[in-house]
Amino acid sequence: MNEEQQLIGEMARRMLDDHCGPAVVDAAEQGDYPSALWTLLVDNGLTTLGIDEALGGAGGTFGDALVVLREAGRKAAPLPLAETLLAGQLLSSLEQRLPTGPMCFVQGDVSLNESGQLQGSVHGVKFARHCQTLLVAARRGEDPVICHIPAGTVAVTQGKDLAGEPSDDLDLFVQVQPQACFEIDEAKLDAVLVWGAAMRSVMMAGALEEALAATVGYALERKQFGKAIAKFQAIQQQLAVFATQVAASTRAAETLMVQSEIASIDVAIAKARIGEAAGICAEIAHQVHGAIGYTRDHRLNHLTRRLWAWRDAFGHEAYWQERLGRTLLADQTGDLWQQVTALG
Amino acid sequence: MFQGMNFAPAQLPGELEALRTEVREFLNAETDWHPNSDFNAGASPEFSKRFAAKGWIGMTWPKEYGGGGRSFLERYVVTEELLAAGAPVGCHWIADRQSGPLLLKFGTEAQKQAFLPGIISGESFYSIGMSEPDTGSDLASIRTSAVQVPGGWCLNGSKIWTSNAHLNHFMVTLVRTAPATENRHEGMSQFIVPIHADGVTVRGIDNLAGEQDFNQIFFDDVFVPDDHVVGEAGNGWAQVMSELAYERSGPERFLSAFRVLAEFGKSLQNDATESQARLYGQLVAHLVVLRRMSISIASLLENGLMPDTEAALIKDLGNSYERLVPEVVRLYLPGQVPKGLAQALEECVLHAPSFTLRGGTREILRGMIARGLGLR
Ligand SMILES: Cc1cc2nc3c(=O)[nH]c(=O)nc-3n(C[C@H](O)[C@H](O)[C@H](O)COP(=O)(O)OP(=O)(O)OC[C@H]3O[C@@H](n4cnc5c(N)ncnc54)[C@H](O)[C@@H]3O)c2cc1C
Repeated sequence: MNEEQQLIGEMARRMLDDHCGPAVVDAAEQGDYPSALWTLLVDNGLTTLGIDEALGGAGGTFGDALVVLREAGRKAAPLPLAETLLAGQLLSSLEQRLPTGPMCFVQGDVSLNESGQLQGSVHGVKFARHCQTLLVAARRGEDPVICHIPAGTVAVTQGKDLAGEPSDDLDLFVQVQPQACFEIDEAKLDAVLVWGAAMRSVMMAGALEEALAATVGYALERKQFGKAIAKFQAIQQQLAVFATQVAASTRAAETLMVQSEIASIDVAIAKARIGEAAGICAEIAHQVHGAIGYTRDHRLNHLTRRLWAWRDAFGHEAYWQERLGRTLLADQTGDLWQQVTALG
Repeated sequence: MFQGMNFAPAQLPGELEALRTEVREFLNAETDWHPNSDFNAGASPEFSKRFAAKGWIGMTWPKEYGGGGRSFLERYVVTEELLAAGAPVGCHWIADRQSGPLLLKFGTEAQKQAFLPGIISGESFYSIGMSEPDTGSDLASIRTSAVQVPGGWCLNGSKIWTSNAHLNHFMVTLVRTAPATENRHEGMSQFIVPIHADGVTVRGIDNLAGEQDFNQIFFDDVFVPDDHVVGEAGNGWAQVMSELAYERSGPERFLSAFRVLAEFGKSLQNDATESQARLYGQLVAHLVVLRRMSISIASLLENGLMPDTEAALIKDLGNSYERLVPEVVRLYLPGQVPKGLAQALEECVLHAPSFTLRGGTREILRGMIARGLGLR
């Protein structure tokens, strides 16, 4: 990461350390949305990173946004930060100015008919209830379009995902203006998937780093049989495995942060690899924490429940593994070793 | 508190691609071997000599000793190309990776002058003499010992699991040169023992795969002259510990099963089923990340750092990966298994148990990682 990214990361971390402690995460799950924290992030330009200033963004690269999202993952920040950054990426790729307020991308069974009516229902839209703008992917006949609509026009049924974060069902029956709809190609929809997978990858990496630090800390503190459980070799060996998985995840995530242009093949690698690590590490974290870690009161669940949710979002491991495998097998430009070295 | 490990993204500089191409061309022209990407699986003195003629042994060593004066990252490119191609590197591998750097760091001027040129020309091959019948992971418990005699030392004892000693010329041997004290790490020295010296007996041991790769060595009143003591007597432990990051972080710690994966991919082409494509993608994703981690460490080493914990970590992760590859590929073979794949797989299954033993066992590495985490 370059120096600027280090600084951005430190700034985000400080802000979240101060304003996004475990109590804030718990309260959010009870419906107490941390709007002051959101405002703080907005005021510091963190919600529009990686988007051109000319379009109302804060500038910087997509990688800069990923740097912030790793910190958000570390602190389990219960905010539509990834959602807003993702929608912002999409808008800016369509050369559209950013509206203010949180946004999210909505994809499901939605159609746009001849008379400009958007219709359909979409299940499990993260943070939809807190967003002001929805970017809805729909079909006009066979053709993909993106429609930009105010959230107030949509019926929202509130729900939660397994991390306890807002995950709402939307019923759309909205008249949209022609100028609010943009024709796109399938590649654009795929780009959104890739961006989303990149975001979840780095968020998992952050959560994994935090979960390791927390679990090491707990092992040093918790005493049984007259000594810290960290002194038992069985615990040490498990935590060593944990550390290897975290190191691999961090490396895979940072690869994405330092890219000037996000490469979908590296996102495939990151999402597949980190998703695998998430399961292994969550298991060890809970094993080492014992029963206390199996409670809602203990903050470990903020991280592990998110790891379990995020590894399935924007394509789980099997999806990205297969996609990566097929991409490499179809590529006739070189053998496996040439492909591996070309990836750097 | 635990501060995390250092695997900051690093890339091999683009200008190294010319070197990579040169190595690939050299290896493409060398076809008289059976490819196996396990560094311990093949050895050919002739190959090593031709390879040395390209200036690729001791390529990072100072020019004044005949080395190439090139960067550690350049060496990284050369070594990974060798392994990926499955070249028979066994003769020169240890001398190039370990014995030469040891002499450069701790050896006397006369030793550098005497021993390095033979390594660089691909004519002197070295073994590591650490393990003994009663000493494995607990290296400080060695019993092979030497007593001072006029002009040198009289050596007695035995080493075991000594890779390629039957092909090699010298063995850097860890020896107790003073009785153990409170501090078990004191009183050890390393000797450069010519394997063909009087009193040295080499007895081959067939490995599980039925190959002769390692040996037991017996020392029976072997005279070792003073000028064959690496650096100073008594400094053996520090010497052994100083090179761990080099030994453990290289591409040989995750590429041993590479042939299996490469042959698997070739056998699938565009006909892969969903589960075959998935497995292939999974294994390549691991490989790419491991390689990136290893390159991150290589860059730290290039900058003069000694990331021992990170090196233990990547060796453990890489070794586990090498063991996983044959275990899972065998379940997803294509209907018609090409001969190259069948053979690579069989060899890998038979060699796999050694991956998590040699160079520090899985449990010892995890112990080091745990120490790095502040747990012990
Ligand atoms: C193919 C191959 C090539 C080799 N080449 C060489 C060579 O060239 N030169 C050389 O000197 N040696 C060589 N070795 C030896 C290698 O270094 C040893 O195998 C290794 O150090 C382990 O020692 P050991 O086999 O005696 O096992 P042991 O140390 O006896 O260990 C047996 C088991 O106990 C575990 N164990 C031991 N101590 C602990 C502990 N404190 N905590 C938890 N578990 C523990 C180990 O992890 C292992 O699972 C080679 C080995 C192999 C397999």
